[in-house]
Amino acid sequence: MNKTFIVAKNEFMKRVKTRWFVFTTLLGPIVLVGFFTVIGFATTSAIEGGESTIVVLDQTERIAGSLSDPEGDLTFTISDADEETLRQQVLDGEYSGYLVLPAGLVDGEGSARYYSTEGGGVSSFNFDLRNIIRNTVRTLRLEDQKVSNEVFEIINAGVPLDTIKLSDEGEEQGSSAAYAIVGGIMGFLIYISMLVYGSVVMQGVIQEKMNRVVEVIVSSVRPFQLLMGKVLGIGAMGLVQMTFWAGLIAAGTMGSGAIISLFVDPANMDLPDTATQTEILDAVGFQVPDLGPEVFVFFVIYFLLGYLLFSTLFAGIGSAVEQQQDAQSLMLPIMMPIIISIVFLQAVIEAPNSGLSVALSLIPFTSPIPMVVRVAMIDVPIWQLGLSLLLLTGTFVGAVWVSSRIYRVGILSYGKKPSLREIMKWMRYA
Amino acid sequence: MHTLQVQGVSKQYEKVLAVNNVSFEAEPGRILGLLGPNGAGKTTSIRMITYITIPDSGKILFGGEKVGPKSQEIMGYLPEERGLYKKMKVGEQLMYFAELKGMPKKQAREAIKYWLDRMGALDWVSKETNELSKGMQQKIQFIATILHDPKLLILDEPFGGLDPINADLLQDVILELKDAGRTILFASHRMEQVEQLCDDICLISKGEIVVKGALSEVKKRYGKNTVLIDFEGSDAFLDPLEASGAVRVNVRSTRHAEIRLLNDTPSKQVLQAALQHVSDITRFELVEPPMREIFVTAVTEQQGEQALNPQSEGGAA
Repeated sequence: MNKTFIVAKNEFMKRVKTRWFVFTTLLGPIVLVGFFTVIGFATTSAIEGGESTIVVLDQTERIAGSLSDPEGDLTFTISDADEETLRQQVLDGEYSGYLVLPAGLVDGEGSARYYSTEGGGVSSFNFDLRNIIRNTVRTLRLEDQKVSNEVFEIINAGVPLDTIKLSDEGEEQGSSAAYAIVGGIMGFLIYISMLVYGSVVMQGVIQEKMNRVVEVIVSSVRPFQLLMGKVLGIGAMGLVQMTFWAGLIAAGTMGSGAIISLFVDPANMDLPDTATQTEILDAVGFQVPDLGPEVFVFFVIYFLLGYLLFSTLFAGIGSAVEQQQDAQSLMLPIMMPIIISIVFLQAVIEAPNSGLSVALSLIPFTSPIPMVVRVAMIDVPIWQLGLSLLLLTGTFVGAVWVSSRIYRVGILSYGKKPSLREIMKWMRYA
Repeated sequence: MHTLQVQGVSKQYEKVLAVNNVSFEAEPGRILGLLGPNGAGKTTSIRMITYITIPDSGKILFGGEKVGPKSQEIMGYLPEERGLYKKMKVGEQLMYFAELKGMPKKQAREAIKYWLDRMGALDWVSKETNELSKGMQQKIQFIATILHDPKLLILDEPFGGLDPINADLLQDVILELKDAGRTILFASHRMEQVEQLCDDICLISKGEIVVKGALSEVKKRYGKNTVLIDFEGSDAFLDPLEASGAVRVNVRSTRHAEIRLLNDTPSKQVLQAALQHVSDITRFELVEPPMREIFVTAVTEQQGEQALNPQSEGGAA
C-alpha cells in the first residue's frame, strides 16, 4: 500500500473518531446560521437606529397631526414650546430630535428642518423621515387641490419591480438576492475551511515535531509522503464535513422560502397577517433560487484546491517552528490573500461581473472565495473558470514544491526560531 | 548478508562540516558502538543511514544495495529524542508504525501481541499514550522499533529512563536479536554499557572517525597502562605522583584509585609510592584502559583539552 495513503488514512481516522469532529459537523451549520442572523440583526438595527421619538414644532398647524410611521419606529409628539426649549430637551436626551415645519411648507415655501445630536448621515432613518414628511405633505397638497379619490389611488399605487437574471439558457425569474445569499454562505464556508483546516494541518505538523514522533516516522516514509498524507487525510475529513454542509445548503435553498418568510413581518409589506408564504415572498421580490449542480461541483473543487494550497503552505510554516505562537508572524503573508478575498466579498456580491471581481477570481491566492460567489450568482464565462482553475492548480503544485523542501529540513530543526530568510535557505539544501 | 557499509560519506550544513569522509562497516550478528561527544556528527550519520537525509558525497550500502525507501522497511530506528502520538491508543499506534514499515495487518497484529506480552505490556493495548508512565512509553517505543523484525537496528541511548529491571529486559532482547544475526548500531554516552554490549566501536569526533575497530583490538592498542589499586589508609601518596607528571589519576575515592601511567612510567613506581604511605593494599592490577578512558584520550588528542572542556578550564588544572 502506498505510504502516502497509509499516512492519510491514519490522519483521517484519528480525527473523524474525535468528538470535535462530530460536534463541528453537526453544530457547524447552526453556528453559521446563528452567526449570520446576529450579523444581520446587528447591521439592520445599526442602520435603523431603533425607535426614536421626535418632537415636532409645526408652524403650519396642519401637518403634525397626520405624521405617522407605518413601521412604527418613529413617534411624533406635537409641541408649542419655543425652539430654544426644544433644543435643550434634545440635548438633554429627552427626545431623539426636533423637527421644524415652517408655515409655508405645504405651499412649497421653505424646507423642513430636523435637528438631532447625530446630525445627518446616510442612514435609513433619514430616508424614512423624508418619506413620511413627503407623503404627508403630498397628501395635503392633493387635498388642497380637491383631487378625486381615483386619481389619489392611482398616485399612491405601488410600482412593482421584478429583477430577472439573464443567462445563456434564457431568462430566469429569481431574485439575485437569493443567489447572493447562497454565494455569500459558500464563500464564507470556504474562507472558514481554509483557515480552520489549514491550521489543523499546521497544528498536526507542530505537534508531531514537538512530540518528536516525526523522526521515527521519516525513517519509514519520505518527508514528502508524510506531508502529502497529512494534507490529504485532513482534507478528506474536511471534504466529509463540506459535503454534509453543502447538502444542507442545497436543502436550505429549497426550504429558503420558509426561512425568509420567518424574518419578514407581513404588516410591513401591506399584507394581512394571514398572508401565505408565497404571497410574502412575492411581496419581498424573493424567489427560491434554482441552483444547478455545477454550482456545488465548483464549490467542492474550489474548496479542495483552496484548502490544498493553503494547508500545504501552513504545513511548511508549521514545520519550521516549535510552537503555535511562533508561527503567527510567518503566517501573516499567507493569510493576506485570504483576508483580502473576504474583505472584498461584499463588493463581489454586489457586482459579480466587475473588473475587481473578475481579477480577484483569477488571481490564484484569492480566487477560491470570489469565484464560488460568482459561480453561484451568475454564469461565469468558461475561459475565466478554466484560467482560474489552471492558475490555482499551478500555484498549488508550486506550493507543494516550496513547502516540501522547507518541511523536510524544518521537521528536524530544533532550537532557535528561524527567520524567513533562513527558511528560504533551507529550500536550497540538497 | 546484511552488512551496513558507510563509504566516504560527507555532509555539510551551512558552513559546518557535520560529517567528513566517514567510512565504517557494521556486520550482522555484531553490535557496533557508535560513540562520540555531543555534536560530533553521530545523529547526522544515523540520519543518513536511515535515509532521512542524503549525504553530499559518499555511499551508504545495506546488504549491498544503496539505502533508500526499500532499506527503510528493513530498518528499525530508535532515536535519542523520541516520542509517540499522545492521543492514540498503544495498539493503534503500533499498528500504524508497522503499516508504515510495509507490514501486512495480520502479521502486524500477531507481532504486536507477542511483543506487548514479552514486555509485560499487554494490558496497555487500548490505553492512550499520555496515560502511560515515561518508562512504559520507552518500552512501547522500543517495541515500535523492532516490531517488523528489522535486519538493521539503530538504537540511540535505548536504556535512557529505564529502571534496572526493564533495562535488563531490553538488553536481553537486544542480545537475542544479535544472536539471530541482526546488524545492530548502538549509540550511547554510557561507556559501561558500550563495554558490556558492543563487539565493535566507532568513535567520531568533529565529524571524523578517531578510533574504530573491534572493542578488544582497540583496547589492546592502548596497552595495559592503567593501574587499579584498592587500599587501606591515606591516599596522600597520589599527590606527589601526579605532581611529578608520572601519572594521571582518573578515579579517586576513599579506598580505590584508577591511575593512568604517563610517559611509560613503570607500574612498580606507583606500587612503591603506595607501599610507603598506605597501611594495606588489597588489590593492585595493571589493566587495559576502560572505554571511558579511551574515549577521553582519543577525543582530547583530536580536539585539544580546551575544545573538549570549554566551560571547566579552571577545574582541569
